Amino acid sequence: MASNASPPAFRPPAFPPSGAAPSADGALVRALRRVGLEPSDRGHLVGVAVVLVVGLGIFPDALSLFWVDTFIQVAIYAVVALGLGLLVGQVGMFSLGQIAILAVGSWTAARLDYATHLPFVVVLLAAGVVAGVFGVIVGLPALRLSGLDLALITLMFAGAVTVVLNTTNFPNGGHGFLGYTSSPFGNPPIRRPSFAGTDPAYLRYSIVVGLVLFLLVIWHVRTKPGRAWATIRQSESAAYAAGINVTFYKLWAFALAAFVTGVAGAVLAASAPELYNTQFATQNSIELLAVVLMGGAYNLWGAVAAAFFLDFIPSLLNTWNLSSFLLIILFGVGVIWVLVTSPTGFAGQFPKDMARLGRALRRLATKGRGAPPMAPAVPAGPTMPSAMPAGPTMPSPADRPEPAGGAR
Amino acid sequence: MPSWSDFEPYIFTGLASGAVYAVSGVGMVVLYRTTGVLNLAYGAIGALGALVAWSLMNSAHWPAGAAYVACIAVAAAVTLLYGMVLGPPLARRDPLVKAVSTLGLALVLLGAMSWIWSQNASAYSMTLVSTNWTFSIGQILVNWTQIIALIFAVVVAVGTGTFLRRTRLGTVMRALANDREISATLGVPVRRVEAAAWLVSGVISGIAGLILSDIVALDATTLTFLVISSLAATLIGRLRSLTVTFFAGIVIGLVDALANPFNAIYNYKDMTPFVLAIVALLFLSRRRSAARTSRMA
Amino acid sequence: MRHRRFRLVVAAAATLTTLTGGLAYAGVGGVSGASATHATRTAHAADTFSLSHCGLGNGKKATGTPIPLGAIVTNQPGTSFTDITNTAQAYFNCVNQNGGIYGHPIKYYVEQEQTNPAQVAADAKKLIQSDHVDGIVGNTSIIDCAVNGSYYKAKGFYIIDSGIASQCYGSSYSATVNMGPRYSSDGAAQYVIDHGAKKVVFDQSNVPGTGYNAGGVQLIAKAAHVPFVGLTENVPITDATSVAEKEVQAAGSGGAVVLNFTPPEALVILQAAQKLGLENRVTWACSTPCNTDFLAKALGPQWNGKLHVNAELNLPSAAGTDLALYRKVMQQYAPSVALGSFSQMGFLEGEIATSALLTIQGAYTPKSVNAAFVAVKDFKTSFLCKPWYYQKLPVHLPNNTDRTVTPQNGKMVQEQGCFQISAVDPVVKYIRGIEKKMNL
Repeated sequence: MASNASPPAFRPPAFPPSGAAPSADGALVRALRRVGLEPSDRGHLVGVAVVLVVGLGIFPDALSLFWVDTFIQVAIYAVVALGLGLLVGQVGMFSLGQIAILAVGSWTAARLDYATHLPFVVVLLAAGVVAGVFGVIVGLPALRLSGLDLALITLMFAGAVTVVLNTTNFPNGGHGFLGYTSSPFGNPPIRRPSFAGTDPAYLRYSIVVGLVLFLLVIWHVRTKPGRAWATIRQSESAAYAAGINVTFYKLWAFALAAFVTGVAGAVLAASAPELYNTQFATQNSIELLAVVLMGGAYNLWGAVAAAFFLDFIPSLLNTWNLSSFLLIILFGVGVIWVLVTSPTGFAGQFPKDMARLGRALRRLATKGRGAPPMAPAVPAGPTMPSAMPAGPTMPSPADRPEPAGGAR
Repeated sequence: MPSWSDFEPYIFTGLASGAVYAVSGVGMVVLYRTTGVLNLAYGAIGALGALVAWSLMNSAHWPAGAAYVACIAVAAAVTLLYGMVLGPPLARRDPLVKAVSTLGLALVLLGAMSWIWSQNASAYSMTLVSTNWTFSIGQILVNWTQIIALIFAVVVAVGTGTFLRRTRLGTVMRALANDREISATLGVPVRRVEAAAWLVSGVISGIAGLILSDIVALDATTLTFLVISSLAATLIGRLRSLTVTFFAGIVIGLVDALANPFNAIYNYKDMTPFVLAIVALLFLSRRRSAARTSRMA
Repeated sequence: MRHRRFRLVVAAAATLTTLTGGLAYAGVGGVSGASATHATRTAHAADTFSLSHCGLGNGKKATGTPIPLGAIVTNQPGTSFTDITNTAQAYFNCVNQNGGIYGHPIKYYVEQEQTNPAQVAADAKKLIQSDHVDGIVGNTSIIDCAVNGSYYKAKGFYIIDSGIASQCYGSSYSATVNMGPRYSSDGAAQYVIDHGAKKVVFDQSNVPGTGYNAGGVQLIAKAAHVPFVGLTENVPITDATSVAEKEVQAAGSGGAVVLNFTPPEALVILQAAQKLGLENRVTWACSTPCNTDFLAKALGPQWNGKLHVNAELNLPSAAGTDLALYRKVMQQYAPSVALGSFSQMGFLEGEIATSALLTIQGAYTPKSVNAAFVAVKDFKTSFLCKPWYYQKLPVHLPNNTDRTVTPQNGKMVQEQGCFQISAVDPVVKYIRGIEKKMNL
């Protein structure tokens, strides 16, 4: 169990291990390993490079501001989804309180901004730390509860936080850290870093912050905490037996997830001219779990897919002038559809579908050249997601032992 | 410090709002115990039924009784359809995945209801016939819908409890909710028993929809997301005890209402369901392993 | 065929616009002779914009290059203001069928939002920078003024809107046809105090800006030496009976309760009060949102004359030239939208924008269109008690005199004719001073 050096979760089959690394790069490989990366991450690195080039270089200036604003939200919510994905996918703990933690991060950032002249990076870190502490508090029940019970008690936390946000007219913009104003002119805008004042620049900033947080999480997953989490996920008793400090690592997961969520909250606070409590409704936490399951909680790219589901697709449909109520219906259908058809989520399903599509295309190509068709074992429907993908290397939710539900 | 007379009226309003939590909570626990699904669309389904009944009464001029039956029929049909179509493919998944899937249903229904019924930014309301039957206790006017809500919650709690424990079908349902495959191997007609469970819980959500649309509001959003605070009662009942869920609902309603005279905490009183659930669950979970062992026996 | 004619017209429009500037419009639209001069054009606009028909009212379909206008509207479960933009669209459709703006149809871009500030900010940028709208008309969003105010200001936009957030009133870039929660609540409080309330309880939904909204009522109560109690409720209200009980207890005998809620929330409170038999215990009053026949119908005859609603706009059934046109346009172009305050606001905003567009000499650009918007003054309409104006002012509250209505057998009827919102409220006092000075 303890020799499970890295969970297979972050290695989707589309990016197969490349075998031996080129020997000339030995030093580089060692350097990578030291920060938790493996040569087999080439696929990921290519993906990250694409995100960097497109996201930082081409995108922000080529897009209209509408899409720039949309992608800022995608970058922020990818990190929020990453936090929940970490809890669900790595440790097997379900939280329905992540949006409340996001609100704590946003609130801390907004109030620090009103009260102080701290540099933006310090505000980000402070928001992350405060949210992290809050996350540990929310995570305390996880020491005793699991599965549905844990999810629901975190939902109760989120509900309580929502009431506080409403009652205090969150975030309000009086002077100082706790000041209250009833001025008709509302709250002062929240500062952005001086070099990222414009929307395209802030998109770049959001992507960079997001990447740093992704790397932070990957580093955790690839090193000692990740191994401990994997063991806890598979069997808590085994983890105890192996001498793993289960209490510490469970809370550490909550703290880390809350930290990245809190930092994302700070980025969110400065993304639009105003903050509103409507952004942090209790039901949004359930929606977040829905999109994380849709994107794929067991895969790094799932968090990015989840953010696209949450922010990009609604904006896209909105530009087609569909009724916003139709969007809610489509979203609901999408949740059910993905949950039923791809238990590994979009990020788990997509590479398989692509591989299948590739095989189908190859077969078409060989057919066109008059070559004999490939073996009939290849599935017929090229892009149809199968109802129950086998996914031998991926721990899918269906394979997991069900947490002890109340019905037992 | 407020005096006793300040609290008096709130005992009755508290019981009425406690009935709301009890009705929603008990209904959700019934479905969970019979099918193993925590139905987050419970409120949305009831709201849909109630809005259909409203339209039938106001646009098609149906008599009230027929519209109420239509409400229950719509709720039962939607619940049954969902259970039959999506129950089997999700049967082996984590309970939370099942719950999130019902959130999908809730969103579909919420979007549809908003589209159909709230375009005109108008206010809907449906006063049940029983609301017009009133009597006074001291200075307080009580109506029969509030009494019916309490009776309904009691009947569902006691009736379902007895049914699940004493009848054959009830035993089979419990077995199914616990382990679908073993039950199937033992010769349980899975599809038919599940259909019965979904149908009955659909009927319950329809009746609850009628009652809640009168006591709370005939508003799709309010009723849909009322499940979140109602989950507090089910959580205190650990998603299995109907009796505890019922009383938890009543206590939540009472505490919430009795906080009214305290001006300092007036707006924070809405935290009541959440705080009570957290406290209760943390307290209960201390004795969890012992309790579970005894339950399993 | 039609396609080619359209292209011809477009080409002609483009050429003539560049060649002769403002002189060309009439010729392109075929409204009047191409020899129109500045002077005659202005006179022409004044003649043709009459409140008895849409725009020019000549029955000719406008086929020129469209004039893009935009709007942002809240549309989410529980809160939908699309009646306003749908009605503005209906009016623009009627204008486009009746000569348009000298042959140019109005193209109306409407963005729906769900109170997410990032989305609302993105929507404004889409309208102004991607759709290249010339003006913003009919905005009705819970958060738009707060989120996009500085953006509109920076881009030189003067929006004609229905305001909700306090920023819609206290700003140079927004003029509203309604008077918003604070001043409408002022009016409702004035009514109950004038009718002998011994205490005023003001209850509202707990959203940003509650302190500001309560401020006016508090001042009015203080000036009349009537005790004031301010309450807030978290929405959605799930325990309306307790809320109603709390309000009535706070008001005491002879007191009054002033509600500032959306129609559904106000309805649950009032119905809960009725279920508890409290409708006669205090005087009930409401800010504008309660002014819908829907609410009157849902409340039923028990509430006849017992609820006093401040009405920012006239009753949909009232007499008046443009009210008659409003009913006609609604029937023909928007039969599914209900008659009521919301559709009246959309209609009025459409009328004001159209009349302003018809005064423009030269090309239709954001600059010229917004200059025309801000120049509006003395716009006489039967929807409002006084003529409406925009003008370059630091704050805008052109609608500050209104009526009181009350339910009567399922309909709202007028209870009190036009009266001024009290100048005890400092903003109203300031506005009255400006109006006097500028003769508005």
